[in-house]
Amino acid sequence: MNALLDLVAVAAVVGATVLIGAYGLRISRTTSDFFVASRTVRPVWNASAISGEYLSAGTFLGLSGLVLLSGAEGFWFPIGYAAGYLLVLLFVAAPLRRSGAYTIPDFIEARLESRASRRVTSAACLLIGWLYIVPQLHGAGITLQVVADVPPWVGAVLVAVLVAAATAAGGMRAITYVQAFQYWLKLTALLVPAVLIVFAVSGGAREIDPLVVFPAEAGPSGLDAYAAGSLLLALLLGTMGLPHVLVRFYTSPTGGSARRTTVLVIVMVSAFYAVSSVIGLLARVVAPDLAQPGVADTVALVLPARVFPGLAGELLTALVVAGAFAAFLATSAGLTVSLAGVVSQDVFSGSVRSFRLSAVLVALVPLAIALLTQPAGLVASVGVVFVFAASALSPVLLLSIWWSRLTARGAVAGMVTGAVACGLAFVVHAAVGGVGVAAPLLAQPAAWTIPLATVVTVVVSLTDRAGAPVRAADYLARLHTPGRG
Amino acid sequence: MSAQRVRVTAGAGRPGAPTRGIALPGTPVDDAEAAYARALRRSQLRLAVGTVLGFVTVAAVLLAVLALVPELDEIALLGVPLSWLLHAFGFYPVIAGFAILYVRGANRNERRWRALRDEEA
Repeated sequence: MNALLDLVAVAAVVGATVLIGAYGLRISRTTSDFFVASRTVRPVWNASAISGEYLSAGTFLGLSGLVLLSGAEGFWFPIGYAAGYLLVLLFVAAPLRRSGAYTIPDFIEARLESRASRRVTSAACLLIGWLYIVPQLHGAGITLQVVADVPPWVGAVLVAVLVAAATAAGGMRAITYVQAFQYWLKLTALLVPAVLIVFAVSGGAREIDPLVVFPAEAGPSGLDAYAAGSLLLALLLGTMGLPHVLVRFYTSPTGGSARRTTVLVIVMVSAFYAVSSVIGLLARVVAPDLAQPGVADTVALVLPARVFPGLAGELLTALVVAGAFAAFLATSAGLTVSLAGVVSQDVFSGSVRSFRLSAVLVALVPLAIALLTQPAGLVASVGVVFVFAASALSPVLLLSIWWSRLTARGAVAGMVTGAVACGLAFVVHAAVGGVGVAAPLLAQPAAWTIPLATVVTVVVSLTDRAGAPVRAADYLARLHTPGRG
Repeated sequence: MSAQRVRVTAGAGRPGAPTRGIALPGTPVDDAEAAYARALRRSQLRLAVGTVLGFVTVAAVLLAVLALVPELDEIALLGVPLSWLLHAFGFYPVIAGFAILYVRGANRNERRWRALRDEEA
């Protein structure tokens, strides 16, 4: 591997990010510019930006690593991520755009007329966002370690500092253009090597024995029904609970355009996942020796040089490295923007200056966590975030959009129940590894934590003496009817 | 819809405040509009839930085929078993298809609502 070429590629991505960010800085002027890009982003740009932000280290490096490591089971993750956007489209996209709020806590506060429910929502958003940034920083650390042989903290610090600076400088307007660019970069960075390697492998002398490379027991027929079902439920519902996903709909001009944008996003992320799955299948053919935990996540970086020795392989590797960095930057930047929005409005005055300060504060916490912890499998770490979001935020979010009798107390009870149940399950599972029958329930808790949070929310709301907010019906009517004209 | 008892509080009542289907005198147009808005919300929810059920059914059928037809493991395309290929790439067209169907339905619901509202006005 040619470290110089790879570092040039990283520098080019960073340079392009800074340049596009600087262009955004020139045109971001008002508070509204900072938070939601003044709601004038066109569907194609907005969809590219949403996709760019959504495709994280988990899918860029992690997916092919997981397919190499554990077989067809790995395909569930991208399928769940894409189907999660289907649920966003069906239940959330247009109504939330019409709500006119800047962040999820803003929406919950306006809908339930309660500061307390806002505080709890903000805390949940912060926790989810931080948990999600950590694997991005780990991914950056692993990548720089593989290509340039530097300690893992270098990559993590580099990404965190860049993201904090870019967010503080340009707000969401800049981030929108940066991320739209990064989607296309990420797609190209996997598509070009994937196509070339497919040609090389299928035209070459390499003899593939399907029974060895793709054994039936690692294939689709050998799956565990409870684990797969619970995981899919979490991925489907978790998407709408991610703070950086929802804030993007506020940048569409109308509810109808928010819907069109979401369909485009589904198509765009699906295209990327399909390409990433090709890399995973190729990895099983070309690099079966890398199928070990910890190493597997680097397979997408190593693959091109395995197939094409010499300069061609080095150039392709540099392209993949550039795409990987785009993935770390885009997702952490999107999360930092939405978390900074939450912090600046909850803790500070909500001004542009406080947004900048919040961006720096928000990026420092996950950096500290990333430096203190060891990287686990990238896909698994991202999966945990989805389970948490699906348990803590999604039930309350869905009910607040569709059910007029939801009360602030019910929402708070539901969010706390979901978060605590899910957190306890993971902590107990990590500590004792689960006992007998309870083991799968602790390893994949979504199948019981999501219904539990939903039931608690509904029961507490129905027994709440204070009753639903007075303006609930008015508010719901506004969410579900298109504007005049 | 089912009849529901509604707490009526003083002070909350500006003309045209939501009444959950109980007609108050004096604001017939606003009442009709609130009823249309509720009907729109319900039809959008029905459409969304129907789309989810449709998607889950198709996905479950695809999954059952993958799990129960062992022949798919034996047919290989470019060296990759068909079952793996279907699992890796088969679900995305289904997701996108249902997304497009839903958007068409949701826009139709909104057009119908607009027509009703304009008729009233």
